[in-house]
Amino acid sequence: MKKKYRNPIGVKSYTGLLLIMPFIAGFVLFTAYPFISSFLLGLTDYNGIRTADFIGFDNYKRMFMDSGFLNAAGVTLKYTAILVPLKLIFSLITAIVLNMQIKGMGVYRTLFYIPSILGSNLAVVIMWQFLFTSDGLVNQLLEIAGLAPVGWYGDTSAAMGIIILLRLWEFGSTMVIFLNALRDIPKEYYEVAKVDGCGKIRGFFAITLPLLKNVIFLNLVLQIIAAMQEFNAPYMITGGGPLKSTYTLGMLIYDEMFSYHDMGYANAVSWIMFVMIALIVCIMTRLTGRGRTDA
Amino acid sequence: MKKLILITAALGCLSSLSACNGRKSQVTAPDGKLDKCTLRFSWWGGDDRHEATLEAIELWNEKYPDITILPEYGGWDGWTEKITAQLSGGTEPDILQINYDWLISFSPDGKGFYDLNQLSDRIDLTQFDEDVLKFGQVDGVLNGITVSVSGRGLFYNSDIYRRLGAEYPRTWTELIALGEKFSSEGFYPLDLDAQSGGTAWYLAIVYVQQQTGRQFITLDGQLGFTEADIKSALDFYKALEDNKVIRTVNIRTDEDGTAALYQSPEFISGRIGGVLEWGSSVGKYEMSLAEGVLEAGPMLSDENGNNSGWMIKPSLLYTISANTKYPDEAAEFLDFILNDGEAAKVLGTSRGIPASHTAEKSLEENGLLTGLAKENDRLLEELDTVTISPYMEIAQMKTFYNNAIEQVSFNAATTEEAAREMYVSINEYLERIKK
Repeated sequence: MKKKYRNPIGVKSYTGLLLIMPFIAGFVLFTAYPFISSFLLGLTDYNGIRTADFIGFDNYKRMFMDSGFLNAAGVTLKYTAILVPLKLIFSLITAIVLNMQIKGMGVYRTLFYIPSILGSNLAVVIMWQFLFTSDGLVNQLLEIAGLAPVGWYGDTSAAMGIIILLRLWEFGSTMVIFLNALRDIPKEYYEVAKVDGCGKIRGFFAITLPLLKNVIFLNLVLQIIAAMQEFNAPYMITGGGPLKSTYTLGMLIYDEMFSYHDMGYANAVSWIMFVMIALIVCIMTRLTGRGRTDA
Repeated sequence: MKKLILITAALGCLSSLSACNGRKSQVTAPDGKLDKCTLRFSWWGGDDRHEATLEAIELWNEKYPDITILPEYGGWDGWTEKITAQLSGGTEPDILQINYDWLISFSPDGKGFYDLNQLSDRIDLTQFDEDVLKFGQVDGVLNGITVSVSGRGLFYNSDIYRRLGAEYPRTWTELIALGEKFSSEGFYPLDLDAQSGGTAWYLAIVYVQQQTGRQFITLDGQLGFTEADIKSALDFYKALEDNKVIRTVNIRTDEDGTAALYQSPEFISGRIGGVLEWGSSVGKYEMSLAEGVLEAGPMLSDENGNNSGWMIKPSLLYTISANTKYPDEAAEFLDFILNDGEAAKVLGTSRGIPASHTAEKSLEENGLLTGLAKENDRLLEELDTVTISPYMEIAQMKTFYNNAIEQVSFNAATTEEAAREMYVSINEYLERIKK
C-alpha cells in the first residue's frame, strides 16, 4: 500500500521563502548591508568618531592623485599576475602526477594537501618569516647548494617572492579541484587516442586540457579574487616593505581604516578593489569565450 | 524580486546613515554611589607592565569585591587599530590607557571621552601639578590624566661596552666615532627602528632641534622645521648608517623580519649595544637581557655642551569611556590605580615615574624609586627639554617619517628628495586634519 503524502505543517506559498529566511537574513545583515553602507561611507569624510561629511566623489578623485594608492594597485596587480598562473600550472601538474595509478597515492594526496589545511595562520606565517631571514633555513640550503645567499627582506623583488612562495605552497585546494576533474575524464578517451597513435603530450593538449576548461576557469577566477585581496601574508611577513614593494591594496585599506582613521577613503578604495576584481573576471570571461556559450 | 532589492537598499541606507552619525548615545552622569558591576580596563605594554598591573587589579578586587575589573592587554603593535575599531563601534572598555595623540584624533572637541572634571569628587586631581593635568585637556575639557611624564633616552648594554672597552658617548661626534670600533668586532653601538617605534627619526629630530632651536612640530600642529632642517635630520640619519653606528634598514629587516627591536635575536644575544627608548617603557628591553646589564647613558650634546632639543611628553594617560554606564565606579578605580599608595608599590615604575604625588611618595618611602626609569627621569630633568606635540605622534605622520628613512636607507632617494617629499606631505596632511 502506498502511503499518501500528508502536509502536516501546511505548505503555503510563502513556506519556501520562510525556509530560506535564515540565509536571506544573514545575507542582508552581513553582505548587503555592509556592501551598501561601505559605498555610502566611501562618499564621506569620516574618521569613525566625528559625524561623517558628505563629500561626493572626492575620495575617488583623491585616489588617482595618491601615489600610495597607485603603487598599491600596481603591486597588487603584479602579485596577482605572477602568482595565479604559477599556482594554476603548479597545481595542475601535481594533480596529474597524483592522478597516476601508483601504490600509496592516497598518502601523497593527503601530504600535499596539508599546507592548505594549515592555511596562512599565524604560526605558519611566523615560520615562513624565520625561513627567509639572513641566516634562515632557505639561505642555509642555498649555501649548501653552493649558491649565494639572498637578502630576502631587503630586496624588492625577493620580498614579493617570499609571499608568492607562501601562497604557492598552499596549492592544495586548487589541486584537489583539478584532481577531481581529472578523475572524471573517462580512461577510454586516452585508450582510443593511444590506438590512433596519440602520445602522452598530445593527449594532454588534445584531451585533458579541453575537458578541464571549465575547471581551469573556475580555479582562475577563485585565485584571482583571493590574490587581489591579499593582506595577511604581506602584513605579517614583510610589513609591506621594503620600499612598499609588497604593500597591497588590502594593506592600504587596513592602514587607512585603522591606522589613519580615514574611513571614507578606506571604503572608497575597497570599492575600487571590488570594481577591479569584477573587471578582471569580466575580461577573463570574454577571453575564454564563456560570455557567449553560457549567457 | 525588485521589491526585495528596494527594501534591502532602503534598509541599508537608513541604517548606514545612522551609523555615520557616530556614537550619539547618552553620557551617563555620575550618581554618587558605588554599585556592584564589572568594568573593563585596557592597556598596552610589555610583560613587566602586564604583570604589575594584573597584581594591582588583584589588590583592587580584594578591596572592592563588588566591582570586578576585567583586564584587556597586549603589545603596542596593532593596539591603536584595535582601540580605533572599538571606539568607532562604541564597544571600548570603561577605562582605557591612551596615548597622547589619541586625544586629538579621537576627541578633538573633548567629547570623545568622559569629562573627568565631573568625577573630581572621586579622582583626587590635587595630586597632580597643574601643567601635568594640562596635557590631558582638550578644548578645555579634562579628557585624560597623565600617568607619567617621560622622554626617550639612550640605554646601553653594559656587557658589550665593557668587553670592547668603550665609554658611553656624550656627544654626537663620540657616538658616530663608536661605529668603527664596534663594527670591527661585529657589534653595533646602537640601533634604531624605522617601524612602529620610529626611533630613527626621533633621534634625528633631537639632533636638529639641538642645532637650530626650532621645534619639529609645534604644539598647535604646525611644521616648525624648514625643508633644509628635514634634510639635515635625514643626513644625520644617513651618517649613522654609513658609519655603522646602527644597522641599515635592509640589514635589520633581513635579520629580524618585522619583529620589534626588543624581541630581536640580535638585541637579545647582545650584538646591539644600545637603544633609544621611553623611560616609561624601557622595562621590556631590560627584561630581555640579564639583570642589571642595561644602563642609562648620557643625553647627547654638541661639542659646546649644548644639550637642548631632547623631548618629553605624557608617556601615557588614563581616561574613562564616554559610553561607560558606571562613571563613579570607573573613577574610583582610576583614583586607586593612580593615587593609592599600595597600588603604586605594586605598579612600581612599570609606567614610568608616577606623576601623582602620593604614588611617587609611596615609591620613594619604599625605596622603589630606582632603576632605569628613574635614572632617565633624572637625566631629562637636568636638561632644557621640549614638549612633544601630539601631532608629531599621529600614525600617518609616522608613516611619512618612516618612508623617508627607508628611502634614504635604501638609496632610493637622496636626502634632498626625501626631505622635499616629507615637507610637502606633512604640510598637506596637517592642513587637512585641522580643517
